[in-house]
Amino acid sequence: MITNQQPILEVKNLKQYFPIRQGVFQRVVGHVKAVDGVSFTLREQEVLGLVGESGCGKTTTGRSILRLYDPTDGEVWFHKENGERVEIANINKKEMKPIRREMRMIFQDPFSSLNPRMTVRDLISEPLVIHNIASGRELDDVVAQLMRNVGLDPNYMQRYPHQFSGGQRQRIGLARTLALNPRLVIADEPVSALDVSVQAQVLNLLQELKERLGLTMIFIAHDLSVVEHMCDRIAVMYVGKIVELAESETLLRHPLHPYTEALISAIPPADPDIRQRRIMLSGEIPSPANPPEGCVFHTRCRYAKDICRTTPPQLVEVEPDHQVSCHFARELHLQGIEVAP
Amino acid sequence: MEQSIERPAPNIFAQQEEQRESYTALVWRKFRKSKIAIVGGMLTIMLTMMAIFADFLSPTDPVTPNMQYAYSRPQQLYFISSDGQLHLRPFVFPQQQVLDPATFLPSWQPDFSRPTPVKFFVQGYEYKLLGIFPSRLHLYGVEDGQTIFLLGTDKFGRDLWGRICLGARISLALSLVATLIIVTIGSTLGIISGYYGGWIDNLIQRVIEFLQSFPSLALWLALAAVIPITWDQTLIFISMSAIFALLGWTGLAREIRGKTLALRETDFILAAKEMGASDRRIIFRHLLPNCLSHIIVVMTLTVPSIILAESFLSFLGIGIQEPLVSWGTMMREAQSIQTLGSNLWLIWPAFFILLAVLGFNFLGDGLRDAADPYSIV
Repeated sequence: MITNQQPILEVKNLKQYFPIRQGVFQRVVGHVKAVDGVSFTLREQEVLGLVGESGCGKTTTGRSILRLYDPTDGEVWFHKENGERVEIANINKKEMKPIRREMRMIFQDPFSSLNPRMTVRDLISEPLVIHNIASGRELDDVVAQLMRNVGLDPNYMQRYPHQFSGGQRQRIGLARTLALNPRLVIADEPVSALDVSVQAQVLNLLQELKERLGLTMIFIAHDLSVVEHMCDRIAVMYVGKIVELAESETLLRHPLHPYTEALISAIPPADPDIRQRRIMLSGEIPSPANPPEGCVFHTRCRYAKDICRTTPPQLVEVEPDHQVSCHFARELHLQGIEVAP
Repeated sequence: MEQSIERPAPNIFAQQEEQRESYTALVWRKFRKSKIAIVGGMLTIMLTMMAIFADFLSPTDPVTPNMQYAYSRPQQLYFISSDGQLHLRPFVFPQQQVLDPATFLPSWQPDFSRPTPVKFFVQGYEYKLLGIFPSRLHLYGVEDGQTIFLLGTDKFGRDLWGRICLGARISLALSLVATLIIVTIGSTLGIISGYYGGWIDNLIQRVIEFLQSFPSLALWLALAAVIPITWDQTLIFISMSAIFALLGWTGLAREIRGKTLALRETDFILAAKEMGASDRRIIFRHLLPNCLSHIIVVMTLTVPSIILAESFLSFLGIGIQEPLVSWGTMMREAQSIQTLGSNLWLIWPAFFILLAVLGFNFLGDGLRDAADPYSIV
């Protein structure tokens, strides 16, 4: 179904480095390589999960694509609704504005992403006002409809965000994101700041909206269990790089990268009788300012050999639609989990 | 599926009590709890009323000299007459100047034989209420030919109370205008400095350091001395405000810059950028409202400092000049120990300066605690 669709976003070798300045003269002494050569293609109506530990560059990837940061290098091609294909990594703010209508973001923290001094009406209508889509009475109707869509009572339009709970605030954020009828939504850990019981509500809502509105999504999470039901494909990131990219089911059943295997083993099984072998990674995630030579994962990898310490592996398509960046992807037999089809 | 989305989620809001409160209501509720803030607020309102209704409150014209009554001692209000009877209507006794037989110093002797009842809402000299409506009505007064100087008179025989009310006008208005200029410049430059960063930030911060390194008193003196006395009264008033504002905005600009630096990193500013909001929109719709509580507090705390600065300059004889009346110019008359020694009531303006400074400071402190009921930074 998805393979037949047209691509909507092509990310090619995206790099986002942040300079480290030191000393009296603020000399640049190095770079934090938050995103270091990320490439993927996203097809219409597809949901791509972007997972990894905190600090691995998932959020930065999302923000670079949306031009909240100016990428250091690489290309991002966006296919507009009218079929036009534009490169957005290097265009200016003014040229970016129409793209922002089609490509929106859901923020992680529903507490800090809503201006405490604005009413819900002003918050949700802000993108409409900025893009001159509606005004006056019409605006109220649109906002009311948007609130209903995300399960909020339009009577609460004049309230301030502090009067809402975390889950409700995330719904406000969601309504604001959907206000412009975007085609692509980058959801940056939309539920990780929420309570587990509320997480499920918001995830279900996202799923419903996605199907109804035909959204394409990049779903960023640090937890495979959150993305496994949402996503068609999953990309696993580690220290600024994608180490494995495959269809969700394939990735979970037959991981080809040792890091993916470790992440999968951390998913708590739904059945308490299942005894699962947890793979505990030793050591810390390396600093993106000073990544290890060779394979970035070799410092924590159980299977690391000499070649891993010297030569960085490339992301290659080992099996159809299954890209891995590991020297031994074909030789290792890694443990996955059973997923309901 | 389609239907389940259209329907509002049923019970998320059911338990939640209706607690709709506007921003001002929240601030007022917190403000009310602090007694000292209420006192400050009342003092501020009282002084403002004094300034607005100065003419209504003064029984005799506070501008026209009346040498006959120069340096009159304050007349006391009496409620009990010499025969021990209580009167609901207060009265005063006219006083006459007598010379001490030994020292030949003049002093005032009340004439207890002629009680003069105080009348309320009487007709007196003509003035314009709020500068528009001509009126002759005064809060209190005595019959023609009699005097009532509750706080005494100055060397030209003008009622000190009336002049204090009139002086409140200049003193408060000047500090208010100066504060408004300070707040406008300070918050604008502060937000610009913090939001844009880079060389703009650098430039503004260096200018602030440059201005802060001036000894403010000396600069005020120099600038105030440059203003020609021949200028129009309004022009002098405006230029004095500008002089006080010139050095005053730096502190606020620094504070607002700091606050902007913190706000700039919040997600809601990032969200605004993600929507494609212009810089102007981010500054005026997101940054400014979140700095507003701080600005209001700084405003109330700046007013008293300007009142003091103005009194000080006027006391030295620079800045506001006769015929404009301010508390500072009135204090000038109390400069010599000799005059003050024999006419202690000339110190009354100082008491009102004290009241104003305390009142605004109390108000500012109360607002500081109350102004931010739901901030996140």
